[in-house]
Amino acid sequence: MMQGPSGPATIVATTSPVLRIGGVFKRFGAVTVLDNCSLDVAEGEIVTLLGPSGCGKTTLLRCIAGFWEADGGSITIDGQDMARVPVNRRPVGVVFQSYALFPHLTVARNVGYALRMQGMAQAEAERRVAAALETVSLVGLEHRYPAQLSGGQQQRVAIARVLVMEPRVLLLDEPFNALDAKLRGTMQVELRQLIKSLGLTSIFVTHDQEEALTMSDRIAVMRGGRIEQADSPNEIFDRPATAYVADFIGSSNFWPAQVVDGQVALPDGQSVASALQGPVRVMARPHNLQIAPPSAGPWTGKIVFQRPVGPLIETHVETDGGGVVKVVAMRRESERAFAHEALVSLHIVSPALCAVYPD
Amino acid sequence: MSLFRHSSLSDALGIGLILAVAVFSLLLLVAPSIIVLMISFDTRAFVSFPPEGFTLRWYAEVFEQGELVDAMLNSLQVGLTVTLLCILLGVPTALVCARGRFRGTTALSVFVLVPHMVPGIVLGVAVLFAGALVNVSPSIWLQSVAITVFILAVMVRTVQSRLLRLDPALEEAAANLRATPFQSLRTVTFPLLLPAILAGAVFTFVEGFDNLSVAIFTHGFRDRPLPVELLALVQYTSSPLVAAVSGVQIVLAIAALVAVSLSIGLDNVND
Amino acid sequence: MAVASRTPLPGAHGMGERIVDALLSGRGIWPAVPAIIVLTVVAVIPFVILLSLGFSDIEVSRGAIASRTFSLEYIANALTDPLYWTTFQRSMTLALTTTALCVFFGYPVAYLYLVGGRWTKRLILVLTIAPLLTSGIVRTYAWLVILGGRGVVNSTLMGLGLIDQPLRIMNTHWAVLIGMVQIHLPVMILPLIAVMSRHDTRLMEAAANLGASHLGTLRTVIMPLSVPGIGTGAALVFTLSYTTFVVPQLLGGGNYLNAATMIYEQVVYSLEWSKGSVSSMILMVTCLIVLVAIALVTNHFTRWTQGRDA
Repeated sequence: MMQGPSGPATIVATTSPVLRIGGVFKRFGAVTVLDNCSLDVAEGEIVTLLGPSGCGKTTLLRCIAGFWEADGGSITIDGQDMARVPVNRRPVGVVFQSYALFPHLTVARNVGYALRMQGMAQAEAERRVAAALETVSLVGLEHRYPAQLSGGQQQRVAIARVLVMEPRVLLLDEPFNALDAKLRGTMQVELRQLIKSLGLTSIFVTHDQEEALTMSDRIAVMRGGRIEQADSPNEIFDRPATAYVADFIGSSNFWPAQVVDGQVALPDGQSVASALQGPVRVMARPHNLQIAPPSAGPWTGKIVFQRPVGPLIETHVETDGGGVVKVVAMRRESERAFAHEALVSLHIVSPALCAVYPD
Repeated sequence: MSLFRHSSLSDALGIGLILAVAVFSLLLLVAPSIIVLMISFDTRAFVSFPPEGFTLRWYAEVFEQGELVDAMLNSLQVGLTVTLLCILLGVPTALVCARGRFRGTTALSVFVLVPHMVPGIVLGVAVLFAGALVNVSPSIWLQSVAITVFILAVMVRTVQSRLLRLDPALEEAAANLRATPFQSLRTVTFPLLLPAILAGAVFTFVEGFDNLSVAIFTHGFRDRPLPVELLALVQYTSSPLVAAVSGVQIVLAIAALVAVSLSIGLDNVND
Repeated sequence: MAVASRTPLPGAHGMGERIVDALLSGRGIWPAVPAIIVLTVVAVIPFVILLSLGFSDIEVSRGAIASRTFSLEYIANALTDPLYWTTFQRSMTLALTTTALCVFFGYPVAYLYLVGGRWTKRLILVLTIAPLLTSGIVRTYAWLVILGGRGVVNSTLMGLGLIDQPLRIMNTHWAVLIGMVQIHLPVMILPLIAVMSRHDTRLMEAAANLGASHLGTLRTVIMPLSVPGIGTGAALVFTLSYTTFVVPQLLGGGNYLNAATMIYEQVVYSLEWSKGSVSSMILMVTCLIVLVAIALVTNHFTRWTQGRDA
């Protein structure tokens, strides 16, 4: 079933997408930062751009916001080409990594900034500011300055500040980076619920896969300026399209193999079908492996490391053929059965869930 | 200093010596001003130490001497002109140096710095000669413009370093929040730059008021600025009058110091 | 930040605003143009003229140039005249000595700033910045009071019975040197403090943890890291003291000729503008040579800073 890459998956939207990124290129001097990026984002969808630093995710976000101009391709919002539209005319709201709150303005004036710039009548502007502050639960802090707020409150001001503009697309650039780890988890859930309740179409940039898995309807994994795969979190995790995605998201074991007559022999004696030819790499998630007594199978090794991960236990097995394989199992079973340095055999629970990639 | 628990005797002696030199240097910095202040209240008509008695006579005399008052007013005018010109020319230049997106912003920064790095007297002589060539004789205006060129770099650097420490995302946020470039400048950049502009204004004013090296070659024959007047006074008189003028200047300096520390904080003077 | 890309022109409301927006959003050089023009007219062109006058025979009358003809006479004269050599040599020696002494007296202050508490730091800043806001003449005048025949030093020494006759300090090389060091000390201390306050205090803790003594930490960690500050301070102090006019004029008693006083006399009293041009040029070139030397030495000792993104 899972047989290597069939090209980046695309979701066919039933209605026309709010944001359409078509073959965008961006170069800085000789370096290509965005290489033919295409992505459609549907109404109310939260799409995460996920990848290591330098993969182009922030560049793509800045091109959508208009801070940088793409060198090729098109970005359209509601069918309107953004190429000639200046930053301050784009129906886009940006929540910056640093929040970029104006330090010399109070919370209320920060939130009302966009409305003043548009020359909105004061009464109407005040009403909208109050509503936005209500939405992010900041009522009562109107007259504070950003420096007098906690990190979480600052983030909410940054969100309220763009919400008052009623943007068509919300862009969030690593908005949790400035928060401490403990607060991050709760803020992620809160922010997702808020965005969902407002039905805002959003692009969310992060390098943190946990964050991506929590926040997104769809994750676009980026690498070297290209989008490797754009799919739902479950799809990305269970059926990574490329070896890179498999390696980047979650934990994985790889080993080399050969395709013979459309079949790849697995080390424990089973096999998996593949349409590829010649040398390949086989990937199995640690939870797809199982440890058994050494006599139970041909794939044997020695336990070199064990650690508890929440309710699970992670075991590293040095196989007789060389190389270390990671196995994750529910805590009770494996703990009872195998000690450190014990000799064991390994089994693949479901060969169909092993992915095969070209070498 | 409790960091080092097991310091040896020689170590303690060495550090003690260094700290002793530091204290001596600090005394060296402050002592002359204090001595001048003491002398300025001396009742005798010649300079001697220790001073005797207490009088404000010399301070009164400062403001009775027409030439001194004129010189002060001239210097005040130069100081204000220089400050105004430096703000008008320097702030936009700092914006370009810090935010410009074209090749050559570095070249521009260096270009602004060059007249400041050239010895003041060389600039003064050059401006005097160039003026003579096109029949512009030395005047309070030539002096103001020459000092402006000399000190412009200080304003540019003060504002530029503040700009470089501002989060560039602030201006992007303003643009994203529907502000036009002008609105962004007026509502975000400029208010945040104000302390740096004020600090730069203090330094450019002091330079305009006190500069001698450029002024001595470019000042108007009849509009003598205070430093030129003082130089003559110090050379040819020996009464505590000069001490009183100095006393006035020291008070002004303290006011300037307070202004700087209130605007950008003393810690940021260097950047 | 990117160099190549340009934000598209946003729309504006009024005509005036539209022009300002155009100037700002292009991120072009336009806002700096007035400054560039003024600097060109009042600095660059005058320097070129100064240079050209050094190669001319000039007649000055009533503050204007009456006639000028091409001549290499003044350049040739300056290079052979022993007066120039002794004067520039005197200025150079004085400036280098002043710079060295400023490092000697200034560095401990910066060290005290580094190890001192909050109030020590503030006190040092106030004592360092305040003199910069007072005029050089006022500060030099103080030394007339201190070093004069009936000044502080002589009164004290005679009061203690150490001397019978007032020492003649004023109008000597020593008076000039003392004045120079004191006047330029703040200019040395400020860049040092700037560098010091950028130090990570954890570096000192690390050095202590690794067994370094106070002096050891100073020698092996603090000093190497503060070399850029010494370089900046030395460059500033040298330029100022090499070209200063006030201190030699006042404390040298009018007969202490240094490069700056010589130029002043040539330009203002004897109206020998060609000589003045040549002297100014020599002053500038020799000053530049020393500045380059200081920069090279500083760079040599701070090779560690020339890393990836220097």
